[in-house]
Amino acid sequence: MHEELPHGATGTDTLIRDKQETERAWAVVVWDDPVTPMAVVTLVFKKVFGYSESKATQLMLQVHHEGRSAVWSGSRDRAEGYCVKLHTFGLLATVEQA
Amino acid sequence: MPRSKAFSATRDGQIRVKLNDAAREFLEVVVEAIIAAETDHEHEWHATLHRPITPELDADDPLRVFERQQILESNAAMMKASLRNASISTAEAWAWLATMQLALRARTAEAGVNTEDDLKKASPQELETIHALQYFLFELTTALL
Repeated sequence: MHEELPHGATGTDTLIRDKQETERAWAVVVWDDPVTPMAVVTLVFKKVFGYSESKATQLMLQVHHEGRSAVWSGSRDRAEGYCVKLHTFGLLATVEQA
Repeated sequence: MPRSKAFSATRDGQIRVKLNDAAREFLEVVVEAIIAAETDHEHEWHATLHRPITPELDADDPLRVFERQQILESNAAMMKASLRNASISTAEAWAWLATMQLALRARTAEAGVNTEDDLKKASPQELETIHALQYFLFELTTALL
């Protein structure tokens, strides 16, 4: 949706805002599901992102208790690459702008 | 008496597979279903294998969709080829893990199980499949740690 620009805004303002939108980080979000073993989620986080046992466990628990967790953020291209990997391991994951 | 482990890591880096014929036949059905679902748009598991990557965009990057399809097919093919082996490599074990986990998600989605409450209402037959896959996944995860 295109927001109305403030009074007095210029085309340059629009370009700057669009650039900022593009440069905002993209997050890989993992969603909870009722059947995936917690040990599998932790192992996959370690494998895909190279996270330590403690960080992978912490993120897994956040998914489990809060229903979702933003497990990584950065460029859109890398976020989508990670999301694809998580999909191939059967995890519920999406990419969204942070 | 300690329970015999379905999968166990060996000193040479392999994963020993101690599954009987019935278990291997069960997993064969699972891997065949994944292979069929990957290409058959009418298959009940197809939607689970083709979930949106970036839902806020109108369409996902076709290269990413293709990449995912290639990995799914490769994993399923690797699992199928090693299904009767007495031991498998670590790479094959990861392919088994990914394929079994996909099957678990697809089977539960097919059964309409999206929440803990749905799981409590699942039929005994659905629960049997779910629990079997969870057991194999847990055992294989332990062997890969």
